[in-house]
Order: sequence, then C-alpha cells, then structure tokens
Amino acid sequence: MNNEAKLTKYVKAAGCAAKLGPGDLTEALGGLSCTHKNVLVGMDTSDDASVYYLDEERALVQTVDIITPVVDDPFVYGQIAAANSLSDVFAMGGEVATAMNIVGFDGCHHPRSVLKEILAGGQNKVQECGAIIIGGHTIEAPEMTYGMSVTGFVHPKKIYRNNTPRIGDVLILTKPLGMGILTTAIKADMLENSVIEKVASILATLNHKASQIMRKYDVSACTDVTGFGLFGHASEMSFNQVTIAFEMQNIPILDEARALADMGIIPAGAYNNKSYLSSKVDAKVPHKDEIILYDAQTSGGLLIAVSQDDAPKLLQHLLDEGLTYSAIIAEILPLGEKPLLYM
Amino acid sequence: MKLDCSGLACPEPVLQTKKALEELPNDSVLEVTVSSLASKENVMRFAQNGGFDTRVQDVEGGKSLITIVKGFTCNVVGNTKDELFLDKTLFLKSDKVGDGELGAKLIVGFLKSTLELPKLPRRIICVNQAVLLTTADESAPIMEVLRALEAKGVEIYSCGVCLEFYGVNDKLKVGKIGNAFGTIEMLFGGEGTISL
Repeated sequence: MNNEAKLTKYVKAAGCAAKLGPGDLTEALGGLSCTHKNVLVGMDTSDDASVYYLDEERALVQTVDIITPVVDDPFVYGQIAAANSLSDVFAMGGEVATAMNIVGFDGCHHPRSVLKEILAGGQNKVQECGAIIIGGHTIEAPEMTYGMSVTGFVHPKKIYRNNTPRIGDVLILTKPLGMGILTTAIKADMLENSVIEKVASILATLNHKASQIMRKYDVSACTDVTGFGLFGHASEMSFNQVTIAFEMQNIPILDEARALADMGIIPAGAYNNKSYLSSKVDAKVPHKDEIILYDAQTSGGLLIAVSQDDAPKLLQHLLDEGLTYSAIIAEILPLGEKPLLYM
Repeated sequence: MKLDCSGLACPEPVLQTKKALEELPNDSVLEVTVSSLASKENVMRFAQNGGFDTRVQDVEGGKSLITIVKGFTCNVVGNTKDELFLDKTLFLKSDKVGDGELGAKLIVGFLKSTLELPKLPRRIICVNQAVLLTTADESAPIMEVLRALEAKGVEIYSCGVCLEFYGVNDKLKVGKIGNAFGTIEMLFGGEGTISL
C-alpha cells in the first residue's frame, strides 16, 4: 500500500461514516415527489437505485454515490469508491453499462498525481465488471471526495427490490461488518499495514459476482449494506411488514473491528444510526458487539433474501467463488412486536 | 487531571483518554469532558473495558463529565491473593486418612501433593486428632509439609479445646490456635470445604 498521500488525514470523517444520518435524510427528501408511469423504483422505498422503464426487455438503473477517503493509498481509494458506487446497480440485480466520475479534489493538500491515481483505481474496477467510464466532472474542494454516477440495465420483470422478502426466507450477507470502525482506525493510524490491506481488499471487492450468482437462485429481495449499517438496511428490507430475526453468532464481523469497538473506536455515524433505529429493534439477548450492527459500512456486502431450500446452495456457490465471508445471518418471520430482533 | 475533549470527533477523545491514563500514576482520577453521545459512549466503553472504575454525569451545555479512577490498591492486592488461592478450606478431623499405618502415610502424601497445585486451599483447620499433626515431632515427615504450606501463605488453625484434650497445647509448631467461633465462621464463610 502506498500510504504517503495520507488521504484520510485531511477529511473529518472516513467513507460512509461521513454520510448524513437516515433521520436527517428522510426529512430533507420528504417534500420531493418522483411519481411517473415509467418509474418502476423511485425514492419512496429508499431503494438502492432508481429504475426507469424503457421497453419490455430493458429498464434503466441509475445511482450516484461519493465517499471521502477510507485509505491513504490513492489508487486503492479509487477502487473502493468505485466498488461502492457500482454496488447499487448490482443490488438491483442489474449490469453496469457506463459510469461518470464525480470528484471533489483537495488540491491544497495533494498534488495532481494523486488525482490521476484515484481515477486509475476507479477505472480498474469499472473495467472489472465490463463497463466503461464515459466522462466526469471535477471541482476543487476543501475535502477530498470521489465517486460515480452509474448507469446500468435490468430486465423490468427481474428487478431485485430491497423490501420484498417472503416470510420463511433467510438472509445471506456477503461481506463482514465493522468497516466504519476499521476505516476510522485507519484514519487514526491505529492499524498495522497487514490489517489495512485485508480491510482494503474487502472494501474493493465488487458485488458484481455476488449479484450474478444470486440471480441463479430463488431470491425475493436484495440490498447492499452501506451507510445506515446492517440494521438500517435490514429495517428498510423489513418495510415494517415482517420481522427479521438475526442470530448474532452467525453475523460475520472482523475480529479487529470487535477489538476496536471494545476500545471505544466507534464513529458517530454508528450512534446516529442506533438512535434512529433502536425503537425498531428487540434485543432478545443483549450483546456487547451490538453497536457493530449499526456501524456505517463503506462498500458493504449484499444482503440477500433467499428461500430456505436454495439458501445452502447459494451460500456454497458464493463461498466457492471466493466470497469467503458469506454467511446465513437471519430469518424472515411474520411481523412481531418489532421489525428487527437479534439473539 | 482534567481533559477537555469537547467538539472532538472519534477516535480523538478515546486516544487522548488512553494517553492520559497511561501517563497518570496509580491512584489518580481523570476527568474527561465530552460534548457528544458518541464520544461519551466511546470513552465509557474504553474505560470500562480497560477495567477502570468509571462514572458519568451530565453537565451544562449538553456535555458529559466522565470520571475515571486509575488503580485501586486494595483491588490489586485482592486480585493477587485470589490468583494464588482457591476459596476453599481443608477440614481435618484426624491425623490419618483412613485407619492404620497406611492412613498416616496417606495424610502426608495428600498434603504434599497439595503443595504442587497451581492454587492452594486458603486455609487448613485441624480438629480432634488432627491437632496431632500440627504438634508432631520436629523429625516427623508431616512437619516439613505443613511448614511448606504455611510458608506459601496457607493459614493453618488448630482447635484449642482439642489441643488441651490431648495435652499438647505447648507443642504446637505450625499455625495458630483457633477457637470454635472462628472455625465455624471459616467453614460457612468460604466457598467450599473439603473434609478428609
């Protein structure tokens, strides 16, 4: 890793930990309407990307995402920001066609060569999923930000929404939790290089393969776990129509993140998410690592609702394809007292 | 010592608290002021998981004052003692384990083996014929074992009435004379009693 550029040292918060809280966002978006006959998925269900009907074979999937640096290496930051932006299309079950760079460049602290490396990292990941960067826009900014506006396609009858799980399904998560905590520790220079490399490689992993695999099985809903944490996105998935029951011991959490959480290295975003969501959560067996379930993830994994019959096959397929943190973490139950519970 | 972490974002309050606690001598108090929920929870988490006595109170301006105590000497001593001893009392009623010559050998063997344990029983109470152990001849094998146990900090008590009954009160060589009340208290107060 080339950490000389020290990208994370010149921003207030790292990655999705810098995201506006879900309460603030809901309020700000409340007055906006996007109802139209061609809008198949709009803003009303807090889904990952919008979907616009084109014809019987195709619908347009659009999404945009930018993040502040989560690692100090510019190329790797570029890869992670791209993986994070592209993920929303994969969560809808789509394929990416084109992407446009969006850059806020902190020219006061970084030379132009850093910008070049960031963009090269982004391009590397866009190419990996068979898409192409066709443009972009850069402004000077006091804090470094990078991400993409991404366009893809999905079959209008094969859209994977975030809020349509069936009772009896189970949830599979394809990446481990703890990334908000770990990137905060990276920013504070608290991690060894070997750990930073492990974290960076998880963050830079595209959800492309996971998405392609999931489409082969009996999947009812899918989303990606990002800024609102596992419980934030699970809450959107439950849509207050079902109860999602998590098994704490099965949820993949990096050991390094647990240790940091014990030390109190937990970004404010996790507490914001928790205070917004805690009324929806029933802690059957309170756990010391609970806060990690609210930890804001950058470039998190897919959260997939799959039938119980197909779950073991899908899980094995994901594991076989190198998505080694994948695990069955929850079950969809009829709506109980609260939409989320863990034990 | 006072530390003002108002307005600082994670992980700064925790890192400053950590540094301050490392530099402070034992038996000092650190007062950390924080201005956000996240900082309050994080500093509390850090201090509590680090084993420090921690209190929090809300103060004016929506801030919180976290009081962290570094080192409690009495706790530390208690801990070391806990590390060396099992909370168990060995209750001996005879100078033998079972009858005859074998019984006399067994009691020596048993107590000698006890010496090898990573944790020793906290105390040994001798009543009735067991007081013949603590009053044995200097050359008896049991004497060496009992002295070794005593040297390791095991408390050894011999029943006063019993010593008088056998007419050996002036021959006590190891441990102290215990009274009935003290004996009962030790038997019921400890976590466990083992009788041979």
